[in-house]
Amino acid sequence: MASAGTVKRIVDSIIETRSKGNPTFVESTRAKLILKGLNPAKFTPSTPDDPAMVARARNLAAEFGVPCL
Amino acid sequence: MSTNRSIQIASSRNRSSSAAAAELAHALSPARPSLVLYFATSAHDPSSIASGMEAAFAPATVIGCSTAGEIASGEMLKGSVVAMAIGSEVVSDVQVEILREVSTAADSVPLALESFGSRLRTPMRKLDPSKYVGLILVDGLSGAEERIMDALGTGTDVLFVGGSAGDDLAFQRTHVFAGGKALTDAALLVLMRVERGFSILKTQSFSSTGRRLTATRVDEARRVVLEFDGQPAVRAYAAALGVEPAALPAQFAAHPLGVMAGDEPFVRSPQQILGEAVKFYCGIAEGAELEILEATDIVEETRRALERKTRMLGGISGLVNFNCILRTLELDRKGQDQAYGRLFSDVPTVGFSTYGEAYLGHINQTATMLVLR
Repeated sequence: MASAGTVKRIVDSIIETRSKGNPTFVESTRAKLILKGLNPAKFTPSTPDDPAMVARARNLAAEFGVPCL
Repeated sequence: MSTNRSIQIASSRNRSSSAAAAELAHALSPARPSLVLYFATSAHDPSSIASGMEAAFAPATVIGCSTAGEIASGEMLKGSVVAMAIGSEVVSDVQVEILREVSTAADSVPLALESFGSRLRTPMRKLDPSKYVGLILVDGLSGAEERIMDALGTGTDVLFVGGSAGDDLAFQRTHVFAGGKALTDAALLVLMRVERGFSILKTQSFSSTGRRLTATRVDEARRVVLEFDGQPAVRAYAAALGVEPAALPAQFAAHPLGVMAGDEPFVRSPQQILGEAVKFYCGIAEGAELEILEATDIVEETRRALERKTRMLGGISGLVNFNCILRTLELDRKGQDQAYGRLFSDVPTVGFSTYGEAYLGHINQTATMLVLR
């Protein structure tokens, strides 16, 4: 079975790490990601993993200084 | 022209830079501010106004930029200098970093953030974003805003708000002012510790039409969209609006595009047609999905946004307004400029008409405001 949900996991990790749970910063981090071309709302736990998109999400995590597995 | 002791504002229409600075210093005395923000018409010699303001207000941190029109409490001005003096009981610490050669230099934001961090002995990523806020003023003709805001966004959770300097629509040379010097091809990052609370207000007077375009081929460096939805950009944009391509430029002001974050548009304003491509006032990423927006009433939308923010904070003691020049031109065209100015009558306010606004990214046709409680 193909893997799924990796982008959502990475995006959630970026938002959680950078906002520290503060709703204001949840929104601002989400907006920063959208302005960088990655809309968190478009990814769910069942979104099939697209290697290019996963690589893009990992690069964004690195830019945000968020380690991701 | 001051209304409280912690935050005072004044304006001068004096054409002599040294006399304008002296007039502002007199109007703002006996304040001993930690920070003086000022916004000056490009009619002033940049070096003269920068050195004059520094001399008038030292040892405060004195920063500013040139404008395409100024804003003071209750008034939209042209050909003036407006200044806000902020006391240390409101802003207890101010740090300034100057980014130079921003149009060509490799990204210098990480170094600036590192410098802030070492002075504060806390890395910027760990700095409490509820206590610190940033201002950003950028050379409005540098084309560097997207890169700077992008690097700020990933490098820190502290929110930066601001605008791009203007030159009264000459589009020749804009300046930022710091340390008594006028700088071009530069940006100022100002990090402030705010003691009484703050918020950022972003307002744009548009609603979504629900119609979407995806930027499928983009020259990002030149802010030019070549294709929307696989079609030449002009044809696709015009078709989405139901007009002939030749009629598209007449629709630009009322129907810009927005990158949507939930219901919140980050406006991208079209500037001109280049063949079958469309050049914008700020960058659009290839692959970005955009909504076509429809203009609503600037005065009414801003009034409502200001009321919401005032209720949220339980009062406002000072406001810095970075108002897009395209909004100012529309207000002028509709005879609403003074009605807009009057929205800020009861709040110590300074601001200017910008060549682009900054909040989370570089945006257009928007007002971004630092609101101090």
